[in-house]
Amino acid sequence: MGIKMKLIPGFKLIISVLTLILVQYSYASEDQCFNCHRDLEDNPSKLFVEDVHYKVGLSCSSCHGGNSNSDDMELAMNKSAGFIGVPSLNKISEACSKCHSDAVFMKKYNKNILTGQFEKLKTSVHGKLSVNGRGMMLQCTTCHNAHGIKKVTDSRSPVYPTNVPATCNKCHGDASFMQSYNPSLSVDQLTKYRTSVHGILNAKGNTKTAECASCHGSHDIFSAKDVRSKVYKLNIPNTCSQCHSNKDYMKDFPIPTDQFEKYQKSVHGVAVFEKQDLSAPVCNDCHGNHAATPPGIESISKVCGSCHALNAELFSASPHKKAFDEKKYPECETCHGNHEILIAKDKLIGVEEGAICLKCHAEDKNQKGYRVAKIMRSQIDSLMSLDIVAKNLIFQAEQKGMDVEEIKFKLREIHQARLETRTIVHSFNEAKFKEVTNKGFKASEMAITEAKASIDEFYFRRYGLVVALALITFLIVIIFLYIRKIEKTKSV
Amino acid sequence: MKNQTKKFYDWVDSRVQLGDLVAFMSKKYVPVHSRSIWYYFGGVSLFFFIIQVVTGILLLFYYKGSSDLAYESIRFIMSKVQFGWLIRSMHSWSANLFILSVFIHMFSVYFEKSYRKPREMTWISGMFMFVLALAFGFSGYLLPWNELAYFATKVGTDIVGAVPVVGEPLKYFLRGGDDVTGATLSRFFGFHVALFPGIFTFLLMLHLLLVQRQGMSEPMHLKIIAKAEKKTMPFFPNFMLRDLLLWLIVLNVLAILAVFFPAELGLKADPLASAPAGIQPEWYFLFMFQTLKFLPAHVWFIEGEVLGILLFGLAGLLWLLVPVWDRKSSRGQQNRWINYIGIFSVLFIIILTIIGWVLK
Repeated sequence: MGIKMKLIPGFKLIISVLTLILVQYSYASEDQCFNCHRDLEDNPSKLFVEDVHYKVGLSCSSCHGGNSNSDDMELAMNKSAGFIGVPSLNKISEACSKCHSDAVFMKKYNKNILTGQFEKLKTSVHGKLSVNGRGMMLQCTTCHNAHGIKKVTDSRSPVYPTNVPATCNKCHGDASFMQSYNPSLSVDQLTKYRTSVHGILNAKGNTKTAECASCHGSHDIFSAKDVRSKVYKLNIPNTCSQCHSNKDYMKDFPIPTDQFEKYQKSVHGVAVFEKQDLSAPVCNDCHGNHAATPPGIESISKVCGSCHALNAELFSASPHKKAFDEKKYPECETCHGNHEILIAKDKLIGVEEGAICLKCHAEDKNQKGYRVAKIMRSQIDSLMSLDIVAKNLIFQAEQKGMDVEEIKFKLREIHQARLETRTIVHSFNEAKFKEVTNKGFKASEMAITEAKASIDEFYFRRYGLVVALALITFLIVIIFLYIRKIEKTKSV
Repeated sequence: MKNQTKKFYDWVDSRVQLGDLVAFMSKKYVPVHSRSIWYYFGGVSLFFFIIQVVTGILLLFYYKGSSDLAYESIRFIMSKVQFGWLIRSMHSWSANLFILSVFIHMFSVYFEKSYRKPREMTWISGMFMFVLALAFGFSGYLLPWNELAYFATKVGTDIVGAVPVVGEPLKYFLRGGDDVTGATLSRFFGFHVALFPGIFTFLLMLHLLLVQRQGMSEPMHLKIIAKAEKKTMPFFPNFMLRDLLLWLIVLNVLAILAVFFPAELGLKADPLASAPAGIQPEWYFLFMFQTLKFLPAHVWFIEGEVLGILLFGLAGLLWLLVPVWDRKSSRGQQNRWINYIGIFSVLFIIILTIIGWVLK
């Protein structure tokens, strides 16, 4: 019984292979279109032999129409028999979609095959009207070829992962072609890609590494400015994380998979995901897109500095620059981290617990930096305390109905100074830092003085009113008494 | 000291014959009866007008009548000028109390039928002053050039534009263009500080002259009482002192309001911004505004808003000409219809104002 069970699957396999060969032979022999064209030795028939469609028994007439059973050319290629000849423009994709959009039909060949490709193509950027105005920019055959179509898993297919970059580059690397569609789009993507980690691995035949379709999609490609695009700014972290957060997928690559998790918590991630802030950086802003690569020690400050320009400039002129270079510390990353960059709080500076300066400075080690960090923190704390005092006094004055609009401008100056300390701190220079904090101290002193004066004015008004009312009431009483007196005198 | 005062009086008297005026005033008597209280509202209105003139002149020292500077100059007055906040608050509160007092004065005169012969001209001059008082309010409201004022003026001038035939040109004239702009502010400023005060002062002089010449009107029911039995009080000093007493009480009220509820400035007008919700005119226009809102879009063949404006116009005209068509009162006969119309008007104004306020 056990032997029988083992034999049955092997037997089934042999029967299946024989049946397939028989069917193919019978189809080929019955497909009169193919028979004639093979005899003519034309290119399509040569290519068709290797075509996936030929292998599953489809005939020429499946796409071109006509009667493939007839060996009479007139009858076989008669329009009344549905012959359409060489389809052009959208007719090409429509011919493909006749089968590829038919889920029931396609399931016969592959249970897992997708059938929405044509619909996706029509809505994609490539499905837009071509410059000739008569058809889509791109048809199925543009990427998949016409008669020699291979399965995607076949390394000879133009859409096999290692072939995709070259396939896309046929158009996207052609400046004269691309300028008709998008003159501002660069045409050096492939060159850049080949310098990237992805591109290098891809060139070595790695099919897991990202190629064009991994990030841009295949049939449903949209312009990067389109919110539906996988490479739309706010969608990029999710797109990259499809692979980079997948531990199983990334197990062949010696890099961490927690970047997305960390990024989500970072100040940049919060800006992107919670505030939908398009100015916040996503993966490609630091790593590049087509030339995606991890920034090296030297280039980290350049990458961060492309947005945080002033901070980078101050740091470069600071004593830390030399020290970091000597110790080969990555500039920004050493204090702020990389993917999980949190909001730079005041507590980062100083010599208290949680201060980053303590990583390198201590009372008995690199004392100068320790002293400066202590002073800076003390100045920041003082400014914050004065800011709170000024705010409270202004609030009190406002609650009393006083006009505090002008004083609020001073409050802005304090806030501005506090903000500037966050930048000037990168100079790690005590004098420069004090220049900024002094501006804040001056503004807070003025704000506090004016707010106090406003509150005093409120009480002055109240007391003044009491005095005025008393005087007027006194006059009222005098006049009242005088009227009574003259009217009494008269009546007497 | 007494000698010095007498010398000064004699000096003036020898030149302008003050004696005649003093003699006239000392012989002038004011009727005393259960409704004498209403006599004082004319004086109270005059007092508020004086406050308006004084505080208005003080504000003029610092106010700048252009759309770029108006708002800022008011803020400067409120925050930098010594007692500027008090002057502006008093001007603002006094304007409202002035119109309230004028309303009371007008209705008291109406219900007492004091407009009857020979005081038709006093009534008509008073009515013109009433309209001018409203115009003062409307033009002055725009001057701070804040958000509320801007949009209220827009709505107000739009209503003027709905008046048949003359509406559109009048609206264009008031705005100084198609829309409310700095040009509107400039001309409203001109109206408020030059044109209206000039006309008002002339009418006020005429009104006071007539009151002095004709004396206070007696209620109709006192006609039947013999002259000897009628109670009176000398205009000077008794009535004037009572007037002064009331003025001081009113001044106290005004000071309390100005200190505890200072005039607000709000946000600067931004013609490009959308109108804030609940835009309303000042309270004294609210009953008309609310009525126009209640009217349907079309009544027969005429637009509801146009019909409303025409009806208010007609009612105003009839109100102005009441001494002409109320012949019965002039003949000394009771005319109950006058009371009914008056009560209806008062109730209409109060109820519609309250509704307008509640539906804000």
